[in-house]
Order: sequence, then structure tokens, then C-alpha cells
Amino acid sequence: MFNPKQMSRLLIVASKEHLDPVIAELYRHHVFHIEDFVEGANEDIKGVKIGNPSKGADVLSTDLVRVRSIASTFEVKPENGKGLQKMQNSDIRGRIQEELPKIAKEVEELLSRRAHLDSSMKEYEQRIELLQPFVNSPVPIDMLYGYDSVSIIAGTYPGTVTLDVPHEEYKETLKGTTTTILAIRNSDLPDVEKKLLDASFHRIPIPEEEGSPQELIYRYEQEIASLQKSMDEVSDDLADIKEKQKEFLLASEELLSADLEKAEAPLLFATTEHAFAIEGWVPAENNVALQEDIQKVTGGNVLLSELDIDDPNNGPPVEYNNPDFAHPTELFMDVYSRPKYTEVDPSMIMAVVYPIMFGLILGDVGYGLILLVLCFGLRSFLTGKAGNQLLKVLRNCSISSIFFGIVFSEFFGFSLPWHPLWLSRHLNIGAGPEAHAVAEVSHIPELIIISIWIGLLHITLGRLLGARNAAKMDHGHHRQLAIYANIGWIMVMWGIVFLIWSIFPIPFMIDLSGFPAMVAGLNAASIAGALILIVGIIFIARENVLDLMEIPTIISNVLSYTRLIAVGLSSVAIAMVTNYISIGMIIEPNFELSILGIIFLVVGIIVFLIGHTINTALGILGGGLHPLRLHYVEFFTKFYRGGGKIYHPFGKARKLTEIE
Amino acid sequence: MASGAETMAVEVAAQNLEAMAASAAGLKAIGAGLAVGLTGIGSGLGEMSIGAAAVGAVAEDKEMFGLALLFTVLPETIVIFGLVVALLLLFS
Repeated sequence: MFNPKQMSRLLIVASKEHLDPVIAELYRHHVFHIEDFVEGANEDIKGVKIGNPSKGADVLSTDLVRVRSIASTFEVKPENGKGLQKMQNSDIRGRIQEELPKIAKEVEELLSRRAHLDSSMKEYEQRIELLQPFVNSPVPIDMLYGYDSVSIIAGTYPGTVTLDVPHEEYKETLKGTTTTILAIRNSDLPDVEKKLLDASFHRIPIPEEEGSPQELIYRYEQEIASLQKSMDEVSDDLADIKEKQKEFLLASEELLSADLEKAEAPLLFATTEHAFAIEGWVPAENNVALQEDIQKVTGGNVLLSELDIDDPNNGPPVEYNNPDFAHPTELFMDVYSRPKYTEVDPSMIMAVVYPIMFGLILGDVGYGLILLVLCFGLRSFLTGKAGNQLLKVLRNCSISSIFFGIVFSEFFGFSLPWHPLWLSRHLNIGAGPEAHAVAEVSHIPELIIISIWIGLLHITLGRLLGARNAAKMDHGHHRQLAIYANIGWIMVMWGIVFLIWSIFPIPFMIDLSGFPAMVAGLNAASIAGALILIVGIIFIARENVLDLMEIPTIISNVLSYTRLIAVGLSSVAIAMVTNYISIGMIIEPNFELSILGIIFLVVGIIVFLIGHTINTALGILGGGLHPLRLHYVEFFTKFYRGGGKIYHPFGKARKLTEIE
Repeated sequence: MASGAETMAVEVAAQNLEAMAASAAGLKAIGAGLAVGLTGIGSGLGEMSIGAAAVGAVAEDKEMFGLALLFTVLPETIVIFGLVVALLLLFS
């Protein structure tokens, strides 16, 4: 529960004739984490090389690339495979041999046809665009080019230019732009060009076509329409193929990638001319079954040996071993870092504490219900593993919010028909006498003290786990020092707490200020506190004197937990202010059956909705991030090391094909 | 029997007391406002550079989003301390 799955280190040695059945068996079990063989890592071992991929791996990978490229053309993704029937592997293999080249060829032809049609359409469109400025030209387009002594220039310019050379000019305004066509003698061309340039003349190319521009454009549009028709046909053909072959494509992708993974597995093994050796990890619970099956497929001609674990901290891969309700929180662990094999896996603690903290912050029945609905609504959109985990965490959090909302008697900032069950965090917002009445009973300082209690206990737990990790993971003299240092940190924290208790009476805390003073105004409790503090400091200093600089962080870490109430109160305040502005200031004073009254009602409702939407978003963000930060920054830094190797068993879960 | 002058003196004293209580409440409110406002500026300054770096990191790798968001809110502790001080000023 608090430890990852127990792993056994297994060495499999057999002669090469058994290579394929052993790989198939390992793949089928889907529990064996292969440790890569590194050539030359151990100088004592000579003559051992990395294995070669099995025969046919190149064909498999060519086929796989083909299948994947078709699948990506059709945008067929493994997620689309939901609800499809499993297919027979022999069927798929047969179809890969016979049909795949045909399908690939057909798709390729259709795609190249589509590309060709597309480029032709683009060309016509471009021609139309070029002809557009000359659509009303008084002469056919072929009369605008091809002269020996006369140049024709077309273009647009913002102002007017007076030319002092003989010329002929034609102007045409179309959609706000005036196109000018100028005919001049070649000898005048340089002068005129210079003048036009000064007038910011923008030259348009004259298309070298024949006939009336209007007719040409009409003809090209006809061409485009007929091309579009062919394009639609091609698209229909492609859609047909997609519909027919979708299942086959997904299944063959799955089968081929499985086959390829198996074929390439020897790249991870150590091999000699006649034998191979595989080293890896298998969860202790699957060990016996795996070994038995490997014995079976090799007819007993295999050496299976369980090796000692050299470096338990870093060696074995880490797979979580948590009860179901803690699985979603593993997401947060992986975002931070996978635990090491020997250390405490805090997923379960987090699975309990995180929703409680979230609920304390967002304790409101209304917001909790919105979040719950959101979680169920987003299920079909967030289908990945991480998305699923996140939604489950949020679901737990929303239930916790609803629970705390009932305790705090809050519903979108309004009070529920009962008084808060224990402590109230209703604020004095809105000027009515009712608001004053609730403000008198609000218990904000008390709630802050509760949050400090949570901090003290959470950090103490963190340090205890730190001591446990040191005991399990460190060695020699340092191990003892590290354990004592963790205890020292607990003692310093509680020493400070005792000192404060003995000086100030604080509600919801133990009052030790009543004892008679003994020495220099200090009573028995303060002396005890000071002693605990000093012993703690000595324990810390024995491990590392520089750590003493960190002592002030004890106070800031504990006070950091007050955010549980402070952030929560800010969301209560926003909710209450929204209610006050929308209902108290806009709707209520103007509530009458007139046009103005209805307008105020609508405006009030809009303000209400916007305010609560923003507050829901802020509440989810704040309620989600702050507890996460308390875990990562305040809690994990006390004990968590992380950096464990992630367990990747060889094999893949099959959805559309059979396991062989 | 109190003379007219005495009654007036008592009234003036009562008014003074009321004014003092009101100004004490006002000063508390100003203190609370300063606590939140100044710490808010502090948090903002802290989050400024983290936020910029976080956006850069997310642009490089979208998977960084969760971690980047978390780093960005780290300095929010400062403003939360301010908020706690303000709450204690106003409510205790």
C-alpha cells in the first residue's frame, strides 16, 4: 500500500532456437520489464553482443509505415476503434498480404489525382484573379500585348499623373479600385515609368491570353466547377475506402506494431552465436506464472535465475501498488516524480488529504455540484489515462466540496436553511441587518487556527515519513544522523509551538500560559518548549550545520497552510459580493412590473451569472492548485526523494486483435 | 442633580469616545487594505518573471503546463499571508 509492487529480478538464458517462443510468451504476459543490454558496459563479459532483429522485421516495418500513412490520411486514430469487433489475426495477416498493397495503391492514386485537381483549380483561380482588373476592357486581352513600338502598362495608383508625352489612357473602376491602362511609345517608356513610380503606381501584369476577358473568366469558372465535381468524386471514393477499411486499418496497425515490437525485441537482449540472455524485472506476484510458462514453451531447456537486487533504491522499476481509490492521485505523483523503489509512496495519503483540502477551500454546495456535473460532462472529451485520472480526482474533490458546503452552510454564497454546523465563514457583506447577524457568529480566527493545526500535523507526518525513508534508504553513519535530523525538525517545530502556547492563550489550542512563572518570566511549559527546541537544533546540526539556516521556514511552512482558509474566504467574499451587487443593488430595489424593472432584472441576472462563472473558475483553479502546492512544496520536501524508474512491461494491451 | 454644564461635558466625552472608536475601526481597515495591497504587489513582482518563463516552457512543451502553473502560483504565499493578516485585523 505505502510501498510499490515488489519486483523480482529475473535472468532468462536459452539457446537461440527458443528465442521466438520466449519473446512471444513475454509479450503475452505483459508483465516483464526488460533491462536493456548495454554492449561493453561490463568489461569482464566478452563475446556477447546485442541481438539482431528477427527475420521479416524490415517487411513488418514497411507494412506498418504503409498502414500508418493511410490511417493518417484518413485521420483514423486508435480512439476511433471503440466498440469495434475483434478480428482474427490470421484474417488480418492474409489481408495485409493481399489487400494492403492494393489499398495503398488505390489511395495513393486517389490522393495524387486529388492533388492534381487541386493544383489545376488553383491555376484557374489564379488566372481569373489576373484577368479580373481587365474584365471591362474595351478590347480583347490579346490586343494589350505583343507590339513592337508601343508599350502597354496596366496598374493602379492613388492620385493622378499628367503625362506630357503622347499616350492613350483607359480608366476603369471596379470595386473601389481604379485600373489604368496606358499605351505609350517605347522611346518614352523610361521617363513615364519614373513618373509613375513617383506617383506610387502599382503595376499589374497583363495576362498573355486571347479573347475577351469576360468570356475567358466565364470559361475558367466552368472549368473550376467541373474540376470541383471530379474532386467531390475523389473525396467520395476516399470516404468509401475509409468506411470500408477503417476496422482493418486499426486492427492491422495494432497487429503489425505488436509483431514489430516482438521482432525488434532482440535489440534489447545479450546474444552469443548460439544463445541469448534476457535480464529484467517482473512483479513478484506474476513471477511464478511467467516462469512456468517460459519453462513450458521451451520444453524445460531454459535457465531461469532470480538474481539479487544490487541497488534496491535505484535498480528496480517502480509500479504503484495502491487500492482503487488512490489510483487517480498517482497522476499527481507522476507529475512530480515517480517514487523510488524503497521509499514510501504517498499516493494514498494524498488521495485522502487532497480532496479534504480542496473541500475546505471551495466548501460550497453550489460550486461543488457544478464541478460534479463538469466531471461527468467532460468524461467523453478527456479519454486518455491522465484525463480520466484528473476527472476522478476532481469528482472526489467536488464531493468533498459539497460536504464542506453543507458544514459551512453555503450555496453560491447564500446561506442554506441551517446555521453552519460547526464554524462559520460567512462574511459581513451587504448592509442588511441579517448580514450583521451572521458576521457576529463568523469564526475566521478560529478557522485559521484549524488550518494551522492541519499544517502542524501534515508537516509532522512528512517528517516522520522522512525518518522512515532515511531508515530504509540510507546506510551507515549517515542513516542514523538523517533519522535524528528528521526527529530534530519535529522537535524544533513543536518546541516553538510549546513556547507560543506558554506565552499566549490561543483559542482551539492548548493554553499553557496559566502556569506560574519560574525563571525570568518563563513558566514550566516554556522551559520544556525551549528544551525540546534546543535538543531539536542539536539533532539537525549533527547532520548538517547549514540546515539550521532553514529553521525560519518552519514558521512560514506552517503559516502557509492558512491559505486553506484565506483562499476559501476570498471565494466566499467574491460569491457574496456578486450576490449583493446583482440581487441587493440591481434587482431588489428595482423590482417592479415595468419595462425598466424587467431590464434591471435581466442585467442583475447577467451580473449574477458572470460573477459566479468567474468565481467557479477561480475556485476550481485555487482549490486545485493550492492543495497541490501544499503537498509538493510543504509536504513532499520533508521526505520525498522521487526519481524512481517507471515500470514499462514488454507487451501491449490488445483491443482489436487476439493475443497469441 | 447634575448641572447643565456637567451634562454637556458628559455628552462631549461620549462623542469623543465614539469618534475614537470610529477612527480605530478606520485605521484597522486601512491596515488591512495595506496588508493585502502591498503583499499583492510583492506576489505580482515574484510571479512576473516566473510567469514569463512558464509561458516559454509551455510553448516548448505542452506537457509542462501543470508544473508551470504550479510554479507560477508559488509566490502567492506572500499575498496569502497579507490576506490572513487582514482577516485577523478585521475579524479578531
